Amino acid sequence: MATATSTAVAVARRPPALGDAIGRWLDREAVFSWLMMALPLVFLFALVGYPFVYGVWLSLEDRPVAQPGVFVGLGNFIADAHDPVFWQVARNTFIYTGVATVLKMVGGLALALVINQSFRAKNLVRAALLLPFIVPTVLSTVAWMWILDPAFSVLNWILVHAGMARPGPSWLGNPSLAMASIIVINTWRGLPFYAITILAGLQTIPLDLYEAATIDGAGSWARFRHITLPLLKPVILIVTVFSIIFTFADFQLVYVLTHGGPANATQLFATYAFDIAMTGGQLGRGASVALAMLPILGLMIIALTAYMRRRE
Amino acid sequence: MRLSRQSSTSASRRTFLKTAAAGAAASLVGVPRGHAAAKSLTLLHESSFIKNYDAYFAKTLAPAYEKLTGVKVNYELASVGSLQTRVTTIAETGRGADLTLNFFNWPFLYDEKYLDVSDIAEAVGKQQGGWYDAAKEAVVVNGKWKAIPFGNTGQLMNWRTDWFKEVGFEKFPDTWDELLEAGTKLKAKGHPFGFELGHGFGDNHGWIYPLLWSYGGHEVEPDGKTIVLDSDETARAVDFARKFFQQTMLEDVLGWTDVSNNKAWLSEQISCTNNAESILYVAKRDFPEIGKVTDQAMNPKGPKGRFHLLNSWSHSIFTSTPDHEAAKAFLRWLCDKPQLSAWYASAETYYQPFLHGYDDAPMWKVEPRNLPYRDALATAHLPGWPAPVSRAQSEVIAKYVVIDMFAKACAGASTKDVIASAVTQLKQIYGQG
Amino acid sequence: MIERRGWRVRALHLWLPLGGFLLVGLAPFYWMAITSLKPNAELYNTRIMPLIVYHPTLKHYVDLLTETSFLTWTWNTTVVAVASTAISLVLGSMLAYPLARMRFAGAGLMAATVAATYLVPQPFLFIPLADIINNLGLSNTLTSVILTYPTMLIPFCAWLLIGYFKTVPRELEEAARIDGASRYQTMLRVILPLCVPGFISAGIFAFTLSQNEFLYALIFLTKTDVRTVPVGAIAELIRGDVFYWGQLMAAALLGSLPVAFLYSFFVEHYVAGLTAGSVKA
Repeated sequence: MATATSTAVAVARRPPALGDAIGRWLDREAVFSWLMMALPLVFLFALVGYPFVYGVWLSLEDRPVAQPGVFVGLGNFIADAHDPVFWQVARNTFIYTGVATVLKMVGGLALALVINQSFRAKNLVRAALLLPFIVPTVLSTVAWMWILDPAFSVLNWILVHAGMARPGPSWLGNPSLAMASIIVINTWRGLPFYAITILAGLQTIPLDLYEAATIDGAGSWARFRHITLPLLKPVILIVTVFSIIFTFADFQLVYVLTHGGPANATQLFATYAFDIAMTGGQLGRGASVALAMLPILGLMIIALTAYMRRRE
Repeated sequence: MRLSRQSSTSASRRTFLKTAAAGAAASLVGVPRGHAAAKSLTLLHESSFIKNYDAYFAKTLAPAYEKLTGVKVNYELASVGSLQTRVTTIAETGRGADLTLNFFNWPFLYDEKYLDVSDIAEAVGKQQGGWYDAAKEAVVVNGKWKAIPFGNTGQLMNWRTDWFKEVGFEKFPDTWDELLEAGTKLKAKGHPFGFELGHGFGDNHGWIYPLLWSYGGHEVEPDGKTIVLDSDETARAVDFARKFFQQTMLEDVLGWTDVSNNKAWLSEQISCTNNAESILYVAKRDFPEIGKVTDQAMNPKGPKGRFHLLNSWSHSIFTSTPDHEAAKAFLRWLCDKPQLSAWYASAETYYQPFLHGYDDAPMWKVEPRNLPYRDALATAHLPGWPAPVSRAQSEVIAKYVVIDMFAKACAGASTKDVIASAVTQLKQIYGQG
Repeated sequence: MIERRGWRVRALHLWLPLGGFLLVGLAPFYWMAITSLKPNAELYNTRIMPLIVYHPTLKHYVDLLTETSFLTWTWNTTVVAVASTAISLVLGSMLAYPLARMRFAGAGLMAATVAATYLVPQPFLFIPLADIINNLGLSNTLTSVILTYPTMLIPFCAWLLIGYFKTVPRELEEAARIDGASRYQTMLRVILPLCVPGFISAGIFAFTLSQNEFLYALIFLTKTDVRTVPVGAIAELIRGDVFYWGQLMAAALLGSLPVAFLYSFFVEHYVAGLTAGSVKA
């Protein structure tokens, strides 16, 4: 009968059809995408997601080192709220991140505009400008210890010999100057990254846009405001987001330079949490201080993104 | 040059070692070791400032023990500052070294993971002249010795004899007020003082806690609960510190970490500071001219006495070690007079022994300027004294509560405010606020 | 810019500001260089001009290379940086490609999740991660950092690569599929090879961050022979309160100048990679 033959034929045809079917299934956008993303998602889940949950659990426990933890709910957070140093740390981190980011943004933009021009040894100069970003932070910070030592600082030497001060400002002893110092070092370190990233953005702006504007009579400032800046916004936004995340969680600079001194003037969330957990042996309390970073960080990013998107 | 004594007596010492160790091991381990004995033991230590000290253990002591008992001893070095991380790891996971060095109050922090070594402590104390009281502060937890005290890395006054002489001080001032007078004169001559008030880990504690105690100020009562920082005594100490800072010191000290005063000393910026033996050691080695005019002295006296900081080094055995008896036998051998005295000597008094038996040891004669370190032991205490050791103290240290109280006052804040702020922090740490 | 410029204008727009940035950016390196060449006696002398070396010596470099484990640390750092970069690029691509070129349900959510993982800061994660790494028996192994560094690198690499993947025209992809290639083959043989500059720029960023990382290395790597340069230098070129300044500065220079030199060859690609990646984001 026709059915018997067709069945036999169908059977004979099945193996290649199955392979094809699997191939076609794998090619479906959703399947392909999820399979592709599976490994990285598992990786991130295992090494970020799980520790994150574990860390949150720790922050809800009274967990001294080498002792089992005792659940205390929001106890750690309440204790942090009563800790005057905690609030000082929050203020410090906020100021540090805010000022340094603005400086890096403005400075980075300026530097990008400068090196966008064509000149000899362009690549060598760009690589040289990247050096502050490349050198391990802890080692450059050690150099800054000398640069900021009143007895050795060039700036102090100038001020003393100009008769303006003796022995000159204490860059790391005076609380305000200490905060200014770490902001300066952070800016010094991070500005090249901003500059190179913005440079890339600058190089995608079509030149005919500028030509058209010039023909219309726009001066260089107007060109900058109405062409350059708007087109750079996405780049600036992205690099600012990354920069804020890094700066807010900064640890190395303060750990080496002042360890939070003078009297917590430069203490940041990261170094404070580290001290509490490692030196103080209070893992739960330390986790709670570090966790406090998260909502603030999240809010800053959301606010920034909204602001930038709105202005477009 | 200081270690030449050892090579001449090493032969006789080795025989002594054998008999002593055998005796010690036998006395401790009555049971014949037929069951699975440890093949190797690991002692975790922090990299020493004195290279010879580490070399002596690795090259002399460890091989000697192996020759004696067949147990290989590994000397694991953590670099400066990372020992606590390592000990925490071992305490938390139960894996790693068998014995470890402790600082400060760690025997208390990790006490549940350390073996009770009271028997060893008693034997060693009896054999070698008895323990200093200071030794017990950090290692006796609930009546049990959880570590064998090893030595103190004292913090003392370093002073420039030449500059002090110029302002009329042939000897180091005896009281804080006299030191203030000297400092005021010296600052006027361009040789200010430099006492750390920043967030280091040693050179700030070394003078601030003794200052507080010498005026009668305490953080917490011996009951371990009552916070008494807010007192007239504390206020007087704080007021003195402010005057001391303003009249004698560089402003920079407010942000100093431990390396800063060494740097300032060797660049001849300061005439007096509080430090361990490292300044003199490096000065003698690299800057002999400065070394000649550097001397060390005990902390000045205040109205309520003279005090020093206890920086207790001790050795413990982890409960996670597979063979408790073997570990104890090794520790007993290590703390036996022949081994211990030689190990102390290899470090040239950088670690001041906690046993009275060493009060007149030959090593003290090598550099007389180090003698004050020995004399300071009698009045040395842990931060947090007179309250007993507790985890809360570790948090107080980690948060620099006492240090910042003084530092903020020196920077200009009112005494009332800084004390109130410190008390708030203490209350929060001790769970009372 | 388009108009012709006289040398005065060029100086104002280029040489002066460039000089200023170079001066500020590189002054600390000058200090590092002279400190690494100064004998200790000169270093601490406040009476002489600090910006000149009177009796230069190579002693610090020699000591660094022969008496410390600096070469071991450099090797470790390189291994870790290369491995972390490789993992981040591979996993980053696997995340970026679908998000850039495919349409599927849940794409937005996944993108947001990946961005969110970036928000979790290292100073928070190090406490639970320390426990996890210890319990896996990975403490004091290079594996511990090779596994944990990509967590901070993958999101940025993914963002960068998304931008770059998006720029490859659909026509190329459609042409390949008409010829019978599967999506996988298209990706591997057509799209990815066109994005090599993107990989270079992501790779440079990832490599730099890896060799600069400190906190995780501080916690996980406490034995000298597994340490990386930042942790090794800070932990072991400092004994107690005595810094070996000359060696520290020598380490700083030896750790950064070769890398910068290498970068000078790739900077062109780095910028080009970001070009395609960033504006189209």
